[in-house]
Amino acid sequence: MAEPVIPSDGELLRLMVAGDEPAFTALYRRHQGFVYRFALSMSGSTDLAEEVTQEVFLALIRQAHRYDPARGALEAYLCGMARNQVLRLLARERPYVPLVEEAEEGQAVLLTQLIAHDDQFRDCTRNEVIRSVRQAVLALPTLYREVLVLCDFQELSHAEAALVLDCPVGTVNSRLHRAHALLLKRLRVMGRFDSAAQDTQGTRCFA
Amino acid sequence: MNCQGFEQLVLALARDQSLDAAVREQSLAHTEVCVRCAAHLAEERALLTGVRAVVADLAEQEAPARVEAALLTAFRQQVTTAPPVVIPMPVRARQWTSWQRVAVAAGILIMVSVPAIVWQPSSSRNQLREARAGSPTPAITSGPKTPLPTPSALDRDRDTAQQLVAPRPRHRVRHQASANNSDEAEVVTEFFPLRDGEDLTALESGRLVRVELAGSALSEVGLPVNPETVNTPVKADVVLGDDGLARAIRFVR
Repeated sequence: MAEPVIPSDGELLRLMVAGDEPAFTALYRRHQGFVYRFALSMSGSTDLAEEVTQEVFLALIRQAHRYDPARGALEAYLCGMARNQVLRLLARERPYVPLVEEAEEGQAVLLTQLIAHDDQFRDCTRNEVIRSVRQAVLALPTLYREVLVLCDFQELSHAEAALVLDCPVGTVNSRLHRAHALLLKRLRVMGRFDSAAQDTQGTRCFA
Repeated sequence: MNCQGFEQLVLALARDQSLDAAVREQSLAHTEVCVRCAAHLAEERALLTGVRAVVADLAEQEAPARVEAALLTAFRQQVTTAPPVVIPMPVRARQWTSWQRVAVAAGILIMVSVPAIVWQPSSSRNQLREARAGSPTPAITSGPKTPLPTPSALDRDRDTAQQLVAPRPRHRVRHQASANNSDEAEVVTEFFPLRDGEDLTALESGRLVRVELAGSALSEVGLPVNPETVNTPVKADVVLGDDGLARAIRFVR
């Protein structure tokens, strides 16, 4: 028996433009999660992520002709739109964004806890790890946050991320390194991380 | 390897990404002699674990159903109010579009099944008369231009394709020029059935597809072709029935 043919994004988009509602629904369900998760990771707000998702697909409905398949996959195009929307909304809501909580006594998370252990507190630890990483990511400057979200959370290749961010791949590499360094620093602060790396900061290895 | 070199590779090492075996060995050897870099690698690995936990948690997150409902409402409004927009196709997909396939099929049908098509290859009215000598000269009438679906429009959707009234054979129609291009007028032949004995007046509706055929194809079946235009593509309109089969053809000049 022949396997069912899964229509490509391009085919669905062409049908959608012709007014085919099932094609639009299929396209939306295929990509909404990606867009929503990107916006959520960037903002930490489900409301904002919801708004971004809606705006992105509204733009697709109204201006589908602006998508050029030659420039990359539809997912990257949607993600680029989502990025613009997120940055716009974050700028709009900046005065109201709460400061990320500094680590308080009793809330500290050791970086070593990021490695989940198989014990009765595993779920608690895991949730705490997720909360800590998310907080640390949200505290990153946008420039580094977006590249970290794209490459680490959304698992795009560096080339795909470069397409979304409209910058060279080398820039993605360097920003990702910087983002990791800032994230680790943040997590150390949050968790009072007592690592050899911290202890030896400032030392130089000539090996 | 020194610390600077190690820093460049630490992310790839933490993720176990493919690295040159020798480079990997050198990097790991470096961690045995440099406490700081070894700790950095351990941190990156721990961070990766945390990131993976976040990714796993995020995987369950989706936009709520109300977003889809709102978008569908907007989509329906868009469909009913705005004209459709053509999306450029990828180069590979552009090679054989449905209208091109129809064109090829129509060409084959013409060569095989059209017994006698009188075609006016020249722009000369005299040549037309000579070519038509001995047969009733069809009347050339003026009328409003019949809107023709473009190939791109046909690609959009079969459901939105233009429905046409059944063609009336044995009439030659001179199309009036469009408002934007008043200097160009189209002369079309009557419709010729592509199936023997088919009554085209019984065709209640269909779709009209504009195609181009090689002029030489006409000469191969014995139709009169002007030697000067034998290599010139010939435009034609093919009528497709509701079943998608080509029913009739007319030529356009």
